[in-house]
Amino acid sequence: MNFICNFPFFSILLSLFSGTICSVLPAKAAKVVNRVVIAVVGLLSAVLLVYLVSVGEPFVYWMGHFPAPWGNEIRAGILEAGMALFFCIIMYLSMAGGAHKLYDEVDESKHNLYYILVNLLLSSLLALVYTNDMFTAYVFVEINTISACGLIMIRQVGRTIEAAVRYMIMSLLGSGLLLFGLCIMYDLTGHLLMSNIKESVGLLMANGEYQIPLIVSVALMCVGLCIKSALFPFHAWLPDAYGYSTVSSAAILSSLVSKGYIFLLIKIIYRVIGFRIFNSTRIIDVLFVFGLMGMIFGSISAIRENDIRRMIAFSSVAQIGYIYMGFGMGTQQGMVASVYHILSHAATKSLLFIAAIGLTEVSGGSRKFVDLTGAGYRNKWAGVAFTVGSLSMVGIPLFSGFISKLLFAQAAVQVEGKMLASLIVLGISTVLNAVYFMKTVIRIYTAAKDSPYEGISFGKMKIYAVTLLFFILLNVLLGVSSQPVVDLIERGLSMFA
Amino acid sequence: MYCILLSIFFPIFAGLFLLIRFRTPLSGERKGKERKPLLLFAGTFLIITALFTMAALLTAGEGFTLFYLTGTLPIYFKIDAVGSLFSLLAVIVLVCAGFFSFAYMKHEERESRYYGFYLIVFGVLNALCFAGNLITFYLFFELLTLSSMPLVLHTGSKEAVMAGLKYLFYSLCGAYAALFGVYFLYRNSETLTFTAGGVLKASAVAEHGGFLLVVAFIMVLGFGVKAGMFPMHAWLPTAHPVAPAPASAVLSAMIVKAGVLALIRVTNLFGADFLRGTWMQTAWICLTLITVFMGSLLAFREPLLKKRLAYSTVSQLSYILFGLAVMQEDAFRGSLLHVLAHGFVKAVLFLCAGAFIYCTGKTRVDELRGIGRRMPLTLWCFTIASLGLIGIPPTGGFVSKWYLALGSLKSGIPVLGVLGPIVLLVSALLTAGYLLPITVHGFFPGADYEGEHQKKQEPSKWMTIPIVIMTILSVLVGLFPNAVFLYMMQ
Amino acid sequence: MGPNLFANYGEAVSAILFCIGFTNLLLQKNLIKKIIGLNIMDSAIYLFLAEKGYIAGRVAPIVVNGVTSTEAYINPIPSGLVLTGIVVSVSVTALMLSLTIRLYTRYHTLDLDEISMLLKKEGR
Repeated sequence: MNFICNFPFFSILLSLFSGTICSVLPAKAAKVVNRVVIAVVGLLSAVLLVYLVSVGEPFVYWMGHFPAPWGNEIRAGILEAGMALFFCIIMYLSMAGGAHKLYDEVDESKHNLYYILVNLLLSSLLALVYTNDMFTAYVFVEINTISACGLIMIRQVGRTIEAAVRYMIMSLLGSGLLLFGLCIMYDLTGHLLMSNIKESVGLLMANGEYQIPLIVSVALMCVGLCIKSALFPFHAWLPDAYGYSTVSSAAILSSLVSKGYIFLLIKIIYRVIGFRIFNSTRIIDVLFVFGLMGMIFGSISAIRENDIRRMIAFSSVAQIGYIYMGFGMGTQQGMVASVYHILSHAATKSLLFIAAIGLTEVSGGSRKFVDLTGAGYRNKWAGVAFTVGSLSMVGIPLFSGFISKLLFAQAAVQVEGKMLASLIVLGISTVLNAVYFMKTVIRIYTAAKDSPYEGISFGKMKIYAVTLLFFILLNVLLGVSSQPVVDLIERGLSMFA
Repeated sequence: MYCILLSIFFPIFAGLFLLIRFRTPLSGERKGKERKPLLLFAGTFLIITALFTMAALLTAGEGFTLFYLTGTLPIYFKIDAVGSLFSLLAVIVLVCAGFFSFAYMKHEERESRYYGFYLIVFGVLNALCFAGNLITFYLFFELLTLSSMPLVLHTGSKEAVMAGLKYLFYSLCGAYAALFGVYFLYRNSETLTFTAGGVLKASAVAEHGGFLLVVAFIMVLGFGVKAGMFPMHAWLPTAHPVAPAPASAVLSAMIVKAGVLALIRVTNLFGADFLRGTWMQTAWICLTLITVFMGSLLAFREPLLKKRLAYSTVSQLSYILFGLAVMQEDAFRGSLLHVLAHGFVKAVLFLCAGAFIYCTGKTRVDELRGIGRRMPLTLWCFTIASLGLIGIPPTGGFVSKWYLALGSLKSGIPVLGVLGPIVLLVSALLTAGYLLPITVHGFFPGADYEGEHQKKQEPSKWMTIPIVIMTILSVLVGLFPNAVFLYMMQ
Repeated sequence: MGPNLFANYGEAVSAILFCIGFTNLLLQKNLIKKIIGLNIMDSAIYLFLAEKGYIAGRVAPIVVNGVTSTEAYINPIPSGLVLTGIVVSVSVTALMLSLTIRLYTRYHTLDLDEISMLLKKEGR
């Protein structure tokens, strides 16, 4: 076995233990450890990705010395490695972009706690991405939830604690359902490893046995993960949690945590149930309908919002709807579009959150639209970045959002029954997105008459500005040269099967 | 190849450069000092861009692919006859209106933003004209909406912002409807590269031809939004008048033409043979005729000069669309000629309106009585342009309308083929009705007119020269229409 | 259906308990009652697992008196899962309780809706 095959295990372990080490370090050192770990894990994932692309075969890594039906396993393919790399990039940028805000909003003594949580979150995300074992996935889902809850409430104000409680309650409902579905699945198949479950499920389906419990189990797992990833109508906790936590947390939560659950769902669809069996159930129709509803209602709520952070948060609801719509189409292309949208949305949404904080800072800390008038002139970098993010969200060509909409539409054209509904909703949602994002862009570029707030110069926010620059580059890169990424996603998905 | 790329990307980057270099808003005493370098940069960039574009037109050769957007969708540029005609118009109108703005924008705020986006619009327009396939076209069509929006809401007043949003909202709806069609066209055609005679797969036509007609109609409606076609025309009379006058000239003369160009491309892709004689053609002709008539009528009732001109744009653009919808060679010639004629004429009219506002501050038609005594040269140009729009020989409007009517009669479409020319004629009368009174009252204010200050008050040369140049051009188009046709034949 | 349900009464009970816990967690206003609901829900799942892992007439998989035949013991994996699950649910409960304490010291109520009202009044 090649040495590189140890990398997934190394990256999980590294982030897990660095979290423990952070607890005894002073805040400054913890920060350095945190950044270095994210960078190293990203590097490892990049090497792994290159290796996997050149080999062209996924590999399975035993945890311990027990072979397949008993032991615990890690599995890595192109999609897993690519996702891990992408998560690391977004996490690093989000941490760098929100660092200055952390000093304002969080008590100095709590900083190393924050880094512990971020490291734990990274390790649980990596474990969700790499694991081949259902119960391990469940355990790391819970670790993910706990650390995400910590990220929300690290800023100690009433709103965030309430948001954390609501987040916890919804997440616990979700993980309860996931666990129950998982237990039924274990009961039916007698296995916990994904590949073994898939074999058994195939046999059960072929023999026509235990159809109803099987569907119930799949449905429970799906609903559980939908609740956790804030699919409409389970999104009630989201605006407060994203809107009031410190900005790095909001960016990480919206672009990584929910995506981790969605990625687990993709794994379950492909590696546990089997893509074809999953698509023959009614579940995809339900996902499709809720995805469409999320796209519309999320945008409508965002239009009615008068607070920029909450507006961006509601827009997440709409974007999650896109991803589930892609699942609901039940075709390979729909899935590719969804995975691409995971990337595109993660890159754009974290950019928007980080840019929004720059705008509110130069408006006296207020997030009301009235006060944001002319903020684009006071903080130029944030203004440009917010504009780029908005254009990408609206789906203007040359930005990543356009490509994902293009992929969705191309996928929709191939599905006879769902073509019209998805294209129409895609259109409506695009226009609604345009309404609230362009409204904001115009607002921040409307000259304010005798504004009481002062601008900020490049010198005072070097790291912040450079972070934004990287985010913009990432967005444009995804928008202009999407083909290599789409190729990788297609190859990765075919490795899943 | 390099000329094409330069003519597209040079103005875009130059615009961005202006936006960044002069980013702090000028005010008070500093304004006068910093204005000079800004104008110097903007003027130089405009001229260089114009030169690049002319060079691109002269060296037009094979098309080339810039890069692939996704695996099978190339960004492809190629210069063809129609594209080069539009590009020529764009160069003339944008350069003239650009120099006009140097004087007009003196008292406005945030000039750098205006010139920056003006240059970006220039580049995007070039890209639209040179786009070689539908995807490239669509891409820059969206960018055109975005880059021209800051021109609409330049003043930043609440009215302007609402107008800008309305413009954006309508355009995005339209563009999305068009994109909807692009997906289906993509699935049912050999290629999306613009080729004469249509690109539909024969099997697709045989299998679901009826459905493809619906798709074609949706695309016409979608792109028609930009060209102000009924029923999605409402943004135009709101958005055009609130922009600064030179920007409204560009919007009315050139940017709406992007919609016309789009429809030419769409009819080409579907193939005139496929569309001719179907319900889709009938519906399209009906819509254009309704727009022609309604636009003129609304203009007739409108008291604000710039808004009246905007309504007139709605009506005149549908003349062009009518020519396309008839799908007959003569009518198509008429359309192209009217693109040129209307482009020059409408630019002149808006610039004159701008000159009136700049010198006297008057915006309503009834306030303009006696204006000819104070600004005779401007009003003369206004009058000549009005005659062109009405279609009185020897101006450009006459020849184009002649060809439109001729083509319509020749096409042999029952009822509408004859009804069309009648509507065009009635609308021409209405045009005379809403434009000529301005001239008449301007020169002959009547006995009770008290000349408060009768002394001449012509605007500066920066304003008059562009107006005069374009007036002359609008007449030349009428005198030598064959030159245009010969150019198209090449 | 009937006989099956009766034969698998343990699973049936656990499903009912799960529903009770789930509804409590979802619908109760009082935070403590929500947490109790959470614990009922989790316990129901452990009951389900334990019930599935048990084979009549066998003993827990701990080697006593040198009997190594697999026939003598039940499947150890479900028991292991229950143990892991209990650890998870304990930590989650602890976190929820600590959050509840924080909210209570700030707002002197355990009613989540009331807390939301108070927050709206604060206007932040």
